[in-house]
Amino acid sequence: MRLLFAILLGKLITYLTRILKIGGGSAAPGLYALKIYPSLVEKLSKRIPKSVVITGTNGKTTTAKMLAHFATASGLKVIRNHTGSNLERGIASTLIHGVSLSHPWGGMNRHLGIWELDEAAFNAVAPKLSPDVIVFLNVFRDQLDRYGEINTVLKNWQETLKKIPSGTKVLVNGDDANILRLATSFRGKVQKFGVKDYKIVGEGIVHKKEQENLDFEAKDVKLDGLNSSSFILQTTNYQLPTTLPLPGIYHIYDSLAAFACAFNLGLPVNQFTNSLIHYTPAFGRVEKLGFGYIFLIKNPAGATQVFETIAPNLKPTDTLLLALNDNIADGTDVSWIWDANFEVLQNSSRAKSRDLKLYVSGSRAYELAARLKYAGFDPKNITVDPNLKNAFRQARRNLKGQLFILPTYTAMLELQSILAKSGIKKHYWEEEDRV
Amino acid sequence: MKLTIGYLYGDLMNIYGDTGNIIALKKRAEWRGIEVEIKNISIGDKLKKGEVDIFFFGGGQDQAQELVSADLLKSGKGKLIKQEVERGMPLLAICGGYQLLGDYYRPHKGPKLPGISMFPAYTLASFDRMIGNIVIQSSAISYQLSDRKQKKSDDRRLTTDDFLVGFENHSGKTYLKKGANPLGLVSKGWGNNGKDKTEGCIYKNAIGCYMHGSLLPKNPKLADWLLKKALETKYGKEILLEPLDDTLELQAHGVAVKKFG
Repeated sequence: MRLLFAILLGKLITYLTRILKIGGGSAAPGLYALKIYPSLVEKLSKRIPKSVVITGTNGKTTTAKMLAHFATASGLKVIRNHTGSNLERGIASTLIHGVSLSHPWGGMNRHLGIWELDEAAFNAVAPKLSPDVIVFLNVFRDQLDRYGEINTVLKNWQETLKKIPSGTKVLVNGDDANILRLATSFRGKVQKFGVKDYKIVGEGIVHKKEQENLDFEAKDVKLDGLNSSSFILQTTNYQLPTTLPLPGIYHIYDSLAAFACAFNLGLPVNQFTNSLIHYTPAFGRVEKLGFGYIFLIKNPAGATQVFETIAPNLKPTDTLLLALNDNIADGTDVSWIWDANFEVLQNSSRAKSRDLKLYVSGSRAYELAARLKYAGFDPKNITVDPNLKNAFRQARRNLKGQLFILPTYTAMLELQSILAKSGIKKHYWEEEDRV
Repeated sequence: MKLTIGYLYGDLMNIYGDTGNIIALKKRAEWRGIEVEIKNISIGDKLKKGEVDIFFFGGGQDQAQELVSADLLKSGKGKLIKQEVERGMPLLAICGGYQLLGDYYRPHKGPKLPGISMFPAYTLASFDRMIGNIVIQSSAISYQLSDRKQKKSDDRRLTTDDFLVGFENHSGKTYLKKGANPLGLVSKGWGNNGKDKTEGCIYKNAIGCYMHGSLLPKNPKLADWLLKKALETKYGKEILLEPLDDTLELQAHGVAVKKFG
């Protein structure tokens, strides 16, 4: 009865937040429902036959979305925390949303749960979800104010893995030496995915030939600007020429992880490549707008990968809008911008990017503007306006080429709302392509 | 003119944004036509007197800190750093680097990590995680830092120039010994130990503190003070640095003082 009450309360909060347009109801419903019924996640997730848990610093949302896209195309009904609310409350909110009010005790009519969990939440929440497959994407420095050092993150993951049943399929990034250290803590066998001749070193992905022993491998990689990349996806049984409609090496890792999950779930993976043709990026992750792109930046590794991807494609007429917030979801410590390689943007070969027009915004806009100055941009070309709406308007008004918007997490949410209010796109929780 | 920055254990001790301090020193020197070389000095490397003109020492993960503590003593680098600081060479150490330049770091378990006893201070592990924006009033050097030396009246009003801003993230609590000078007094944040309101330590031209952020880009006067001291020690004469347009840096500084101070 208490569970039913928790579900009803959660549903009511979702309803109210959406009616009042104060948000998507992706965290608050779960937060309050968990207070009433703490084991809600264990209880409700049991009603879904199969589940996958995805963790790591970067790429969780894209991996989850790609897997969901393929699973749906394969005829499965999927439930997932699609707004990127990846703490226990986000999972609880999603589960509550999935319960049908006409059959609150019945199954959820979903075949597969795909759960992204943040690095810290993983330890408490993953065991509650009894996943069939667990994916470890990578581990980089990110929000030390929240997660602590990389070694601490890894140590906690190792402790959690020791308790995971040996029959669980554990997938690890074989190019990330830190992630590989997890293998010894798991009683079962791990499977590795990776890109041939690439390795993750420090904050970056570098080209490096080395003997690799990968279960899921991308080889013959070709990058095609901001549009796509192509490669051969190789496993013991398959050799699939693949075109990924996303730029950058880092997205190849996400697609390999999604493929490896699909393989372990017994989905018809020879169709995987086909399904990618219709894949659309998660919001804010290489999101294409009529006049440019949005690339989320949130930590040194992820931001540097974004810079490396866009720099070769910048034209002299293009404009950049960067926004740095220091809210809790962004990380209150903005030190990370000094580890992100903004110099890459400045060294773009095609554009005389030193002369690019830059708009800088967010609660720590001046800090970011200073970073750009020290990266080599001329302060004369930098317009600072901490108010994102104003900065966005100015950037669009004077736009000649494409606008590249690089926001941190909460700035990205704010931007989505600005875009929705100005009729450029829908509210993110109303987006049709929710899988 | 030319400056060589010695980045102490830059491969191991660079945990969060500390490299921004190197970027700030390098750029601010280059913008004035001073040539800059950065030398990473790590485990097993030898270091000679006069080889570098300024030291930077960042923070690291616990494991790295143990290796570095042992190397500082074994390789003789610790002793040399002390000698160089004695003759006026400037140094900036943040967090882990700061701790290793004091007497020792005492962890929860296991033996003490010995430091090089340059700063009259010692650090004890605690279970408090001291995280957040930090603003300090740096009276110890604010006169030296500013070009307002002449206005030394005690009742002058504080301006944002008197503050240093950064972000701290530590659980070690540092205690200054008798006679040690703090870098400043905390107006917001924890500082050395969360109790006595002191933050950091200054000895001759060496500064140790808990301020990530990165510290120097948004406290440009401190960056210039270090550069000036480095050049003066190297060339043996008074150096006047050409002023730079610090509008953006000072706005970043001002926002932090206003928001958190």
